[in-house]
Amino acid sequence: MISANLFPYLLGLAAFLFSAGAAGVLIRRNPIVVFMCIELMLNAGIVALIAYGRFLNSEEGQVFAFMVIVVAAAEVVVGLALITQIFRLGRELDVDELNEMSD
Amino acid sequence: MTVLLAAVMILAALAALGVVLSRQTMYSALSLVTTVAMLSVLFLLLNAQFLFAVQLIIYAGAVMVLFVFIIALLSPDVEDRPALDYRAIIGLAGVAAVTILVFVVARNGVPYNDQGFRAVQLNAACAHLTTSHPPCDPYSTFSFPVDAVNAAGNVQTVAGQLFTNYVFPFEVTSLLLLVAAIGAVYLTRRSN
Repeated sequence: MISANLFPYLLGLAAFLFSAGAAGVLIRRNPIVVFMCIELMLNAGIVALIAYGRFLNSEEGQVFAFMVIVVAAAEVVVGLALITQIFRLGRELDVDELNEMSD
Repeated sequence: MTVLLAAVMILAALAALGVVLSRQTMYSALSLVTTVAMLSVLFLLLNAQFLFAVQLIIYAGAVMVLFVFIIALLSPDVEDRPALDYRAIIGLAGVAAVTILVFVVARNGVPYNDQGFRAVQLNAACAHLTTSHPPCDPYSTFSFPVDAVNAAGNVQTVAGQLFTNYVFPFEVTSLLLLVAAIGAVYLTRRSN
């Protein structure tokens, strides 16, 4: 039994996870770590959805959290396929070096 | 219960910092496994048992195994910069600012339409207490009953929503998974 005054802490945890993931996407250069940080951001969304669903007495937060997990799985599959292909082309794994489209 | 919740939340936050700040990619992956496991315990404490299982099976099982497999396959180099340079410090300051901002806003409620989220919550919680002689302060004392949502069981409740009201988004996610699988096969095929 969790009392409702813990709800701001849960939202704070979600904000922390999201902003840590966003900072990691901006800071890190390894694309694998960048994808892990995107996973952190998606997890933050799941935490916020479940916390809201719990404290608004609604089960729809869990339904949408389920959708977010599915989207995260699909994103990881395509992203890791892209990383593998970049590696196979003999390129360095560094997101700062992959800038052909801006040249 | 509150102590367990606090421990889980602190561990999840520390492991998230480990994901961002580790120089070794494998350490980042292991930190992400820790974060995901802690969040699954958090879901269990929030009465989301189905998502607890889904989080463990899909994230800690499938997704993280995929990450670790790719790391072992590609063996990326250790990043040649110190773990805490000026970019990391600016990023951490931003993280702290956003976290404190959201916490303060959630703590005090967002006033809109002269009834914020907190006011709505208070009214809903006090609605059945028409003749309470101490003033109703549900935000600090009221704890939501466990069976309010999950009366028929968590899996039954979530599945009931998923296959009635949200059946179209559910079908769209199946299409999304199909497209992702086809895209992954297309991307990683050996070009001739």
